[in-house]
Amino acid sequence: MHGELETASQVVFGWDPLWVSTIIFIVTYVVIVTERINRAIVAGLGAGLMITLGVLNQQQAIAGVDFNTLGLLTGMMVIVAITRRCGVFQFVAIWSAKKVAAKPWGIMLMLSVVTAVFSALLDNVTTVLLIAPVTLLITEELDVNPYPYLFAEIFASNIGGTATLIGDPPNIMIGSAVGLSFNDFLLNLGPISLLILVVMLALFYFLWGKDLQATDEARHRIMQFRERDAITDSRLLKQSLAVLTLVVTGFVLAHPLQLEPATIAMFGAGLLMLLVNIGKKAEEQSEDVHHSFGEVEWVTIFFFVGLFIVVSGIEHAGLLGMLANYVVSLTGGDMTVTAISIIWVSAIASAVVDNIPFVATMIPMIESMASSFGGTEHLMPLWWSLALGACLGGNGSLIGASANLIVAGFAERAGHRIRFLPFMAMAFPLMLLSVAIASLYLYVRYL
Amino acid sequence: MLVSDVMIRTNVVKSGMLVRDVFAECGRAHVQALPFVDGKGEISGRVTLKNIMEFSCLPEHMVDMAPLLGSFLSCVNNAEEKVKEVLCSTVDKYVRESGQFIDSSAPAIKALAFMEKNDTSYLFVVDAAQYMGVVTIQGIASRMSEMAECPLPGARSE
Repeated sequence: MHGELETASQVVFGWDPLWVSTIIFIVTYVVIVTERINRAIVAGLGAGLMITLGVLNQQQAIAGVDFNTLGLLTGMMVIVAITRRCGVFQFVAIWSAKKVAAKPWGIMLMLSVVTAVFSALLDNVTTVLLIAPVTLLITEELDVNPYPYLFAEIFASNIGGTATLIGDPPNIMIGSAVGLSFNDFLLNLGPISLLILVVMLALFYFLWGKDLQATDEARHRIMQFRERDAITDSRLLKQSLAVLTLVVTGFVLAHPLQLEPATIAMFGAGLLMLLVNIGKKAEEQSEDVHHSFGEVEWVTIFFFVGLFIVVSGIEHAGLLGMLANYVVSLTGGDMTVTAISIIWVSAIASAVVDNIPFVATMIPMIESMASSFGGTEHLMPLWWSLALGACLGGNGSLIGASANLIVAGFAERAGHRIRFLPFMAMAFPLMLLSVAIASLYLYVRYL
Repeated sequence: MLVSDVMIRTNVVKSGMLVRDVFAECGRAHVQALPFVDGKGEISGRVTLKNIMEFSCLPEHMVDMAPLLGSFLSCVNNAEEKVKEVLCSTVDKYVRESGQFIDSSAPAIKALAFMEKNDTSYLFVVDAAQYMGVVTIQGIASRMSEMAECPLPGARSE
C-alpha cells in the first residue's frame, strides 16, 4: 500500500499538476461559495477530477480522507439523533425558564447558557434545532420579541461549540489532524469560551435584557408548562444519558485509554442502538436502525470526503507548501504575527464563507509551516488561533454557521424574519470583539 | 371492487372561495381534500385540510413542542379571533400541486397501492380530464366491512 502511495500517477496530457490541482481547487471552492449546487456534489466532483485528471491516484485520494473526523461526526450524529427523541433538551429548556420565575432576562440568560453547554457537548446545529422551537414558544407566551433571544442563542451556540473537540466541525478536523484530545480543547479553549460568553451575555443585557418586560399573566403561562411532559420516552432518556455520559467520559480518558475520538463515538452509537433495540422484533430493529442512520447528515459527511481529497490534491501538488512559505515570509517567521493573522483571517473568512473548506485547507498549510517554526510541537498557538477564528467567526453573519441559518429558518417560518444586514450590523462588531478578546488570550497564554 | 363503487362525489374549489366553505364541504363529504379547478374547469391543484391547518393555525415550533402544549396557552384563549380570521380568508394561498389521479374504472386495490406509494389516504378520481370524486381509505374500508359476515369471536368454525 505504502509503495503505491509513493508512486504518483501522471497528470493527463503531461499538464503541470500544480496548475491542474489549483484550478480544480479554485473552481470547487468558488462553486461551493456560490451555493448554486449542493456542496456535497461539488466537493465530490472536485475530488473525482483530482483523481481522473491524475493529480492523485485512488490510493492517495483515500489516504487523504480523515476517517477519524468522519467517524467522530457520524457517531455523534447517531447518538444525538437517538437522544433527541426522548425530549430531554426541551425538558431542560423549560425547566431552566421556570427556575428564573419566567423573568424575560432570566430566560434569555438561561436559554443562552443551556445552548452553550449543549453546543459544547453535542454540536451547535442539533442544539439550535432543539432550542429554537422552545424559544419561539416561550417568547410567544411571554409576549416578547423573540429576536434578542434567538440572537443570543446563535452566539451562545457558536461560542459553546468553540470550547470542545466535538462542539464544532473545525475543532473535530483540527483535533483529528493534530492528535489533540477532548481535554486539550477543554483546557485550552474552554476558559476563553467561557469568558467570551460572559462578556457577550453582559452586552446582551445592556442591549436588550434590561428593557425586556412581561406581564404577570404571561409569566404565569410559562410557569404552567410541565417540563415532565416533554419527556416522551423515559426509558430512552435513561439509555441516552447513560451512553452520552459514557462517551464524554471516554473522550476525557481517551489519552490514557489510547483510543481515538472516532472509536469512542462510533462505539457509543453502536451501544445506544443496541440498548434501544433490545427486545424488539427483527423488523422493528431494522426500521429503528434505518431511521437512526437516516438522520446522519450524509450530505455533510460526503462533503467532507470530497473536500479532504481536493485539499489532498493541492497538498500533493505542492500548492499548500508554497502558500505556507509565502505566509511565513509575509509574517517574517514571527509566531505572534502569524498566530494573530491566522485568527483574524479565519474569523473574517468564516463569517462570510463556510468554515469547513477553509479549515480543511488551512490544516495542511499550517502543518507545512512546522519547519519554519522549529517543528510541529511549536505549532500549537497556530492551531488554537485557527480553531478560535473559525468557530467564533461563525457569529459574524447569518451565513457564518449552519446553526445561524437554522435559527433564521425557524424564526422566518414563525413570522419573525431575521434580516441579513441588520443581523450582521450587530453581529459582526460583536464577533470582532470576541476575536479581539481571543487574540489577547492567545497572546498572554501562548505567545 | 372498483373505484367507482367507493367514490365520494364532492364539489370542487375555485379561486376566491372561502376557507369556511372548503371546511364545510370536507365535513359534509367526509374527505380531507378537494380539487382546485382553474377557469377552464380543469384540475390545477388541491386544497387539503392538513395544509390549511398547518399554514394557518399550527406554526412549526408548536409541532415540535406538541407534548408541552396545554390549555393555558395564549393562542387557546384567543382562538375565536384566529378561527374567524382563517375561515374568512380565501383558499388561494393554500393550493398545492394536484397529486396522483386514478380512473373510476380502476380496481380499488390499485387506489390503495397508489395511496401507500404516495403516503396519502385519498386520491382524486378523474375520467378523461373530468373530475368525478374522491376515493378514500376510509371509504374502501367501510365498503369492505359490508362485504362479508364474520363468525362471532369464540364461535366454533364449521
